Amino acid sequence: MTKPEVTIGVLALQGAFIEHVSHLQKAVATAKAGSKIASAQISVVTVRTVEQLSSVDALVLPGGESTSISLIAERTGLLEPLRDFVRVQRKPVWGTCAGLILLSDQASKAKKGGQNLIGGLHVLCQRNHFGRQTESFSCNLALPFTNPYDVDDLFPAVFIRAPIIEQLLDDSTARLGALKIEDNSEESLVVSAPRLEADKDDATAVEIICQLPDSTGTEAGDIVAVRQGHIFGTSFHPELTPDVRLHAWWLEECALPFVL
Amino acid sequence: MSEKSSTPRPPVDDKLLAANTSFTLKTGLAQMLKGGVIMDVVNAEQAIIAERAGACAVMALERVPADIRAEGGVARMSDPKLINEIIDAVSIPVMAKCRIGHFVEAQILESLGVDYIDESEVLTPADQTHHIVKHNFKVPFVCGARNLGEALRRISEGAAMMRTKGEAGTGDVTEAVKHIRQINQEIRKAANMPDEELFVYAKELGVSYHLLKDTARKGHLSVVNFAAGGIATPADAALCMQLGCDGVFVGSGIFLGHNPEKRARAIVQAVTHFNDAKVLAEVSTDLGPAMVGRTVESLKETEKLAGRGW
Repeated sequence: MTKPEVTIGVLALQGAFIEHVSHLQKAVATAKAGSKIASAQISVVTVRTVEQLSSVDALVLPGGESTSISLIAERTGLLEPLRDFVRVQRKPVWGTCAGLILLSDQASKAKKGGQNLIGGLHVLCQRNHFGRQTESFSCNLALPFTNPYDVDDLFPAVFIRAPIIEQLLDDSTARLGALKIEDNSEESLVVSAPRLEADKDDATAVEIICQLPDSTGTEAGDIVAVRQGHIFGTSFHPELTPDVRLHAWWLEECALPFVL
Repeated sequence: MSEKSSTPRPPVDDKLLAANTSFTLKTGLAQMLKGGVIMDVVNAEQAIIAERAGACAVMALERVPADIRAEGGVARMSDPKLINEIIDAVSIPVMAKCRIGHFVEAQILESLGVDYIDESEVLTPADQTHHIVKHNFKVPFVCGARNLGEALRRISEGAAMMRTKGEAGTGDVTEAVKHIRQINQEIRKAANMPDEELFVYAKELGVSYHLLKDTARKGHLSVVNFAAGGIATPADAALCMQLGCDGVFVGSGIFLGHNPEKRARAIVQAVTHFNDAKVLAEVSTDLGPAMVGRTVESLKETEKLAGRGW
């Protein structure tokens, strides 16, 4: 029996896309027998054009500068096709850092120029939550689903000028422009993705996957990973450490179930 | 900036603060800048134009290299007031230059909250022998190099990102091309050497054997490498990308040309679609004259900036 062919794309307009390509390839190469990954013929490609986007079954939106990526997407004629991919066709996507910002329905702390979002993930994302580069940090996260055999095995997470998920916008009335922008000062400018016809029948709930400990280290604090059906978002960079568990998990549990 | 350090960062695991982890954070930001264009800006207004054009970061400085060249005199770190104004104006990372070896300028820039420091030959060097020990800083550094020896010495000192030196402020891309090719050639040469020869080659280049061996094995520098120095057109930028660079710095080329915003946008598109001649033709169309520039050959030896750095 021939294996079904699956093409995973990594958006390659700007940022750390090669790292995702090689992590995905490594996750495919090291897949366990009997897994969904092993049951498919998976190829990983970079996506820079509309034609390339239409050839992929699932897409990773990498880290980079979210303003650059959205401007380049707009000028390459990719912004609307990306919205269609995520919100109309509802193909599986994963955004890391800048990618998470782009997938959010709303983002705060945009500067004067504003920013175009793809949207689809019903959250309000805060850019550069922790501050500038000297506030970047790494820490170990408990992501037990990436290793069911050893729940104490923590996942190394790198946060670089990272965003966080400030608020879940599950209630559909609170989403997409319906939310009043209360504070229009420069620091807290909120931008929203435009509303689409297809949003009406989208009632998938947002699930919190991971929270950082708060500043005392005792209670759950900032939300750094969420899943809403076919959309997965992380504010950290699993592509910057050698660990491919999260990529393997995403392929197995988030991407392939929607594709195969 | 309002967000000094009041943000609720979780307590960080000490184990993870080992040198290699903090280096991962430094090189990590450079990885996020890949495939992007970093633009020289001299005020907040230009920074906003650069961000709107799609720059992945801006380099804050008082005078662009072409003006430093024209006006002469000692070129130093910018006034913190200017850097703060630029930091406040844009959401993309802000870099700033300090003089070679001037670790106090670097301390000042770090305290201002810049995201990257360029220990740059474009400014007048403060030390004729030593570079800054960049490991001592939390903020990452980018440095220029003409060849593999320089690049690996800077990485040993803690640089988390490299760029070619090129010849800044000329609008002539020849030197950048020369430096990209030189580094690639030397890495290929090292990759074909047995250990005995690598030890001798390390001595010749004035670099650590282990770092050289690691670089040879990887086939590229262990940190991100951008092109810089003389890039003035979308075609120049795509040339550097096709030669294997991870992104480009554009200095005088944008704001000294006509219609800076259009040219900046075109260079951003050219770096993303560097392999697509159709897109390159489209974005190169009707940009107006590029900066006049000077050929590198017309410069006197003393006018060349790339020779600075040791």
